[in-house]
Amino acid sequence: MNTVQDAVLDTARKPASGAALSARGLTKRYGKQMAVDGIDFEIPAGRIVGLIGPNGSGKTTTLKAALGLIPFEGELSVLGFDPRTQRDALMKDVCFIADVAILPRWLRVQDAVDFVEGVHPRFDRSKAERYIANTKLKPGMKVKEMSKGMVVQLHLALVMAIDARLLVLDEPTLGLDILYRKQFYQHLLEDYFDEQKTIVITTHQVEEVEHILTDLLFIREGKIALAASMEEIGQRYVEVMVPNEKAAAARALQPLDQRTVFGKSVMLFDTQRAGGLSRSQLEALGEVRHPSVADLFVATMKGSYA
Amino acid sequence: MNTMKWLIRRELWEHKGAFVYAPLAVAAALVLLLGGGFLYALTSSAFHIQHNGHQMITIEGVPPEMYAKAAAIAASSYLAITAPLFLVLPVVVFFYCLAALHDERRDRSILFWKSLPMSDRETVLSKAAVALVVAPLLTVAIGIATSLVLLVLGLLSSAVKGVNLIAPVLANANFYLSPLYLLSFLPLYIVWALPTVGWLLLVSSWARSKVFLWAVGAPLIALALLAWFDFLVGRFSGLSLNVKWFGEEVVARMLGGLMPGIWFGEVNGRALAEQNAGLDGPMLIGLSYGTLASPAVWIAAAAGCAMIYGAIRLRRWRDEG
Repeated sequence: MNTVQDAVLDTARKPASGAALSARGLTKRYGKQMAVDGIDFEIPAGRIVGLIGPNGSGKTTTLKAALGLIPFEGELSVLGFDPRTQRDALMKDVCFIADVAILPRWLRVQDAVDFVEGVHPRFDRSKAERYIANTKLKPGMKVKEMSKGMVVQLHLALVMAIDARLLVLDEPTLGLDILYRKQFYQHLLEDYFDEQKTIVITTHQVEEVEHILTDLLFIREGKIALAASMEEIGQRYVEVMVPNEKAAAARALQPLDQRTVFGKSVMLFDTQRAGGLSRSQLEALGEVRHPSVADLFVATMKGSYA
Repeated sequence: MNTMKWLIRRELWEHKGAFVYAPLAVAAALVLLLGGGFLYALTSSAFHIQHNGHQMITIEGVPPEMYAKAAAIAASSYLAITAPLFLVLPVVVFFYCLAALHDERRDRSILFWKSLPMSDRETVLSKAAVALVVAPLLTVAIGIATSLVLLVLGLLSSAVKGVNLIAPVLANANFYLSPLYLLSFLPLYIVWALPTVGWLLLVSSWARSKVFLWAVGAPLIALALLAWFDFLVGRFSGLSLNVKWFGEEVVARMLGGLMPGIWFGEVNGRALAEQNAGLDGPMLIGLSYGTLASPAVWIAAAAGCAMIYGAIRLRRWRDEG
């Protein structure tokens, strides 16, 4: 595990040009509890980053610090602004969903659209209306009359119509059914995202976002456990379907994780671990493929709940 | 500026019931009760004037000087009939201020408002502006409309009875000036209401729960403690703390500033009692604005502004819950 972390910190410390978000020694304590423990990371502009970690690992705290919602220690630059002192300027370029179902109960759909149009210079009304037309929401409907899923739909319609340089989504699809979730991520990639924008997403449903992510940031107990682009991950981590007769040989190569599927062992290897491990070495063991983010996450987080 | 307009609209969407429907309901009750009374008078047989509560005069013809006096009273005082509206206003605004910065944390909607480009300063100032300007203006507007309806009903019913005051009332300059007199109290009202609005917004921004207890309980308990200390200290050393001063200058200004006319407490009462030809608007305004000569009013208003600033600073790092 240490090897993973060391390698990660090396990549994270590489200076990136045009970082949308960069943290140096970001620390947040709640009393004696260390929520975020001196983390460093860079998120370059034009990426879609999945911030992934178990409950209580510091994901939301990190995002709240970046959005200027909580004080913190260390350095944090978001689009070149310090969220502690320049929040008002920052919010012109950033949009976020910090939690779902937090729209006030008295708000009507049409009033919400009017209001955001009135206060946000980068809000595209026709876009929001198009998203809303796609749902069961009616203009005169109040939030208190909506199901939880509908509140989320309204919130997403408002946020997706804002042309922000950085979009932060903390569990954006909680309470939505699978059809709408798929549709939402589709819209996010096709309608919303472009090279000028950066999106940071946290979610528990990793398998739903992994195909749209360009970068992964695993966070565990207030520390970054893995930071890499999807290409780097594809090159570095290899999953091998090992037939039983070769299992012992494979185990000698110290897989990160292993499970059994249909009588075959599926083992996950880190090709950059100390000692080195070549792809051809692994190919000799069995069928080689890319691990899913969920499997990689499980392997990386092993012991988190112990 | 545009953001401010939308923030104020937002407050009115949320609090339409308190700022529009509540005064409208009171206005409707006034029209039904008093207007109904006028109409009922139409059906009774004679025109009665009650004097000093026991002497009943029934009048067939009215002497001209009575006409003039009645018309003058009607033209200058018709707005006074809506006094109940101005008793509702402070209650509504008091609870509005208490909830203004607390409810958004309780229902977590603060996270939505903070995701939009609106500063804490704009947000808190919009709420203070609603409490100090928008809500009083709405009540004044509803009050003037209600008074006019009642005046028309009253004039019509007395005209049918043979006492036609319509022409003399319309000819009286006070009839047209009264709404302006009422409006001209607004700046004074703002100065007097600032300490209360500031205190309530500060508590609303600071307290995690039980805002009402903090806002009302804290100053009253401080007052009680002070009185108790004063009692003990006075017993043993002969020194006296100025408890009365604390009650009047601090607690009363913190909690009572929203009451329209609270400044009359500092006005010479004799002048007020001598209003026998209807309300003398310019004189009332003069007396009321005279209270601004006291530095205490301005110190309290400045403290109110400081507390609003405190509420802005607190909202910056106040998390939900």
